[in-house]
Amino acid sequence: MNTALKTTQLSVRFGNKFALNSIDLSIAASGVTALLGANGAGKTTLINCALGLCKPSSGTVQLFSKTPGEIEAKKLIGVMLQDSALPDLLSPREHIQLFSSYYPNPLSLKQLSQRCGLESFVDKRYKTLSGGQKRRVQFALAIIGQPKIVFLDEPTTGLDIDARNLVWNTINELRHTGTAVLLTTHYLEEADSLADHTVVMNNGEIIANDSTEHIRAAASGAVIQCESTLDLNIIAALDDVRSVKMRGRKIAISSRNATTSLAALLALDPKLSNLTVSKSSLEDAFKQLTDNSKTTGDSA
Amino acid sequence: MNALINETGAEILKAIRAPEFLLPTLLMPCAFYSLFGVILSTGNNNAAYLLATYGVFAVMGPSIFGFGVGVGNERDKGWLQLKQAVPAPPYGYIVAKIITTLLFACLALMPIYLIAGFFGGVELPREIWLGLFGIHLISAIPFVLIGLSLGFSLNSGAAVAISNIVFLGLAILGGLWFPVYAFPSLMQTIAKFTPSYHLAELALAIVGTGGEHASSFNLISVLIMSLVLLGLAISAWIRQR
Repeated sequence: MNTALKTTQLSVRFGNKFALNSIDLSIAASGVTALLGANGAGKTTLINCALGLCKPSSGTVQLFSKTPGEIEAKKLIGVMLQDSALPDLLSPREHIQLFSSYYPNPLSLKQLSQRCGLESFVDKRYKTLSGGQKRRVQFALAIIGQPKIVFLDEPTTGLDIDARNLVWNTINELRHTGTAVLLTTHYLEEADSLADHTVVMNNGEIIANDSTEHIRAAASGAVIQCESTLDLNIIAALDDVRSVKMRGRKIAISSRNATTSLAALLALDPKLSNLTVSKSSLEDAFKQLTDNSKTTGDSA
Repeated sequence: MNALINETGAEILKAIRAPEFLLPTLLMPCAFYSLFGVILSTGNNNAAYLLATYGVFAVMGPSIFGFGVGVGNERDKGWLQLKQAVPAPPYGYIVAKIITTLLFACLALMPIYLIAGFFGGVELPREIWLGLFGIHLISAIPFVLIGLSLGFSLNSGAAVAISNIVFLGLAILGGLWFPVYAFPSLMQTIAKFTPSYHLAELALAIVGTGGEHASSFNLISVLIMSLVLLGLAISAWIRQR
């Protein structure tokens, strides 16, 4: 496997809080990888380290065996940062012209306009563009240098559905042209439908790192919710029950096999009420993973 | 090189598309000079004296605002961070901004020189005009560094407010609007701690109106202040990263 990004024991400390804690990660030089996690999980810090914007407190980061921040490393990557506005008073055409002077083999304005759908507003001032149009321009600047890996920090946050679909399609196109993509998101749906590989982060640590399929499969089965007077420890010991926790007044039971767990549950408490059974999604997997990492050592 | 040309072009476009910032910095020095140096002029040497000091004032505007407000704003919006992640030539952004600042400094100086020559009756040999022009452009150095320190350390709203205070403070205390010798003694003492005062003295020495100190003293003062300001700008830059 060709490696685009490799971190070894990477830690970043702000004051005495660890934003990243001993991260060991390899990102392949092809395919789409999603960095999934809640706000504050360390996704942006990890991206910033890969871009050379953030210095590691300890450990190393390598980008195609180069040090992030070196000009040679920068030429291999494309970047779209979270909340990074472009100057308001220039047009997309002028932004593209400026950025194409940074790279050895930039895409032409025409190619970019077609791929990112910029034709209708290429000469308007940036500040007059809609949110989705602005994101498309930022995306165009991220791929202008024909990068080997593109970093997209929250590429679709705040976008409407049309604009989001356009970004998703373009990410899929990148996959087909052999460009690696590392995107951060807190939308599970996004990781689920785009990423070949998903890395789940929580509190500056990686808590899962596997193919998106495996991560979803790890949570396959069902989530049973009901109100019951049974003790949680008793439920946890039932057949095929993976974990149990209270969600408000309801008990949420993650089960590998809904039929067996439910039969055992009903046998113990025939009076349980408000019963729902649903197929678990990547969201459940994610919740379970983050819950587990919060309560490491807990018997549940 | 190509990147630097493009970068400078982008800076110039941004500046001329913000006339609300550009016009005051270009027109105010020239309007003030016309009023105080020419129309309301009393002494026979006033036009030459104020030509020296208003020239420094004209360069101060684009330097402090271009960097203080411009950099503050673009840093605030995350543009500066993106620039550091892409293979833009290092310092290209700053160099492009300095070129643009000097260009607008020239645009602010030219009408003052023309008014001084044609309406203020200022007659100077060609090499003195050139020397004056040189000193006026050099004035940009400490003011750009002040602008950078402000832009790197303040958010865009505060940068506008503080830049205005610093701009007016340096203009008045440095004796750019009214001669320092007309000030009470406390203000005269304060003036000696501003770069604008020493730059004005240097410009005055060139037009032959004579400053209060030897030019070497002014030059060393400006140099020391610039080094301190450079240190401030660098530490502000490191802190904001």
